[in-house]
Amino acid sequence: MCTLDRKLLRQILLHLGAAVWFAFFGAVYEHFSHEVYSYWMIYAFAFPLVLGALPYTVCMMKSYFPGERVIHRWNAAVLTWAVGSVFKGVLDIYGTTNSLLTIYPVAGGLLAAAALAILAFRKSPASPPVSAE
Amino acid sequence: MKRKLFPICYGTALVLFTAYISLDTFVLRTAYQTDTTQMNTAMFESLETTQPSSETSHHSRHEASALEAGTAPQTEAQTKTQTEAPTEALTASETRADAGDGQAQITMTEYYEYNTKIYVADVILPSVQALKTAFAEDTYGRNITAKTSEIAAAHNAVFAVNGDYYGAQECGCVIRNGIVYRDSKGTNDVLCIYADGTMQVVSPDDYTADELVNMGVWQAFSFGPGLLSDGQITVTRDQEVGKAMASNPRTAIGQISANHFIFVVSDGRTQESAGLSLYEMAAFMQSLGVTTAYSLDGGGSSTMYYNGQVVNNPTTGGRIKERGVSDIVYIG
Repeated sequence: MCTLDRKLLRQILLHLGAAVWFAFFGAVYEHFSHEVYSYWMIYAFAFPLVLGALPYTVCMMKSYFPGERVIHRWNAAVLTWAVGSVFKGVLDIYGTTNSLLTIYPVAGGLLAAAALAILAFRKSPASPPVSAE
Repeated sequence: MKRKLFPICYGTALVLFTAYISLDTFVLRTAYQTDTTQMNTAMFESLETTQPSSETSHHSRHEASALEAGTAPQTEAQTKTQTEAPTEALTASETRADAGDGQAQITMTEYYEYNTKIYVADVILPSVQALKTAFAEDTYGRNITAKTSEIAAAHNAVFAVNGDYYGAQECGCVIRNGIVYRDSKGTNDVLCIYADGTMQVVSPDDYTADELVNMGVWQAFSFGPGLLSDGQITVTRDQEVGKAMASNPRTAIGQISANHFIFVVSDGRTQESAGLSLYEMAAFMQSLGVTTAYSLDGGGSSTMYYNGQVVNNPTTGGRIKERGVSDIVYIG
């Protein structure tokens, strides 16, 4: 397995691990919430699964490495959305609201836009750092 | 290390922001108004001069559309003949309490229905002015809470239940004792208790808080949903409060006729009591002859206080324990 594949595989495993953790956290939280549920809590795991593991799997299949800067911003966006989803679930279950909650999707969107912008405007496909692994 | 700088810095920022928003939501106290003991009783003065019959005045002002549609509110006698006979009570006690300008008659009754212990207070008031509300620490704000029994004792209340926990929401109409504390439009049904002793559930889109006060609203709550209207159940069998499922402790307020209120609190989340769904609560109140009913904050907040004692079994964190709430409704 080449360095590029290893770096992408690491990202895939990282997001799969995050998806499992969010699913476990949501299940435990729901278990103790007296039958009060929130889809945001239950499905928070979908963010790292669908927006993390899935695109990196596609990249790996196409042997395309998007670059470290893109990965860092994209991962930050996915994490922000997932944490925001869990927190929205917590507020739903408690039965309260907080207007600051809108910062999560906005920050995640800006980071994702930054990652896509870097990807779109760079001159040539990025190569993985030589020193990596 | 330089390559890891962004993830480390952003991760730290995310953790700090999440910690802050958690504190802001659940811990940090924000007082918007510290003296909330004043009352606006102007609506009662205008009532005395303009409306000799409280039973009909509210309907003539606010339910014109219902009357036109042929769904005029039923009288107490009409409603009682149409609903099921109330379930046999476990215990009952009656108290006549001084309610300031007259004697309030409070009858406490316990039922066991739907595998749940249900506490009912039948309250007949000389004037709805005796039905008051109070905030925790007499302060309107966020994350300012106290136990229902503590707030009730501080106001010499004979009887009290938890209110709508306005402090957990950032919007929704809040009118207490005739004074507007919040005029932002929410999404929940609004319960209006008028100075003429009647009550009505309205849509949050229908009126501003100032308009409601001008219409004679003495108390307004934003939780819901409305359970009964004109004696008919207005919730579906699977309808719930926000994201809550099936059975839970509940608090509800209802009305049989002007100045005749029914307060219901159910236990729940215990082996002895499963709790009620909204539909079960509505059906139970209908069986008592209630024509208009509204769900207040439930779950761990559900508390009924009477003569210096908490009469139900409030649950907090899986234990029988009273928890803090933002506000109460009381007789005193």
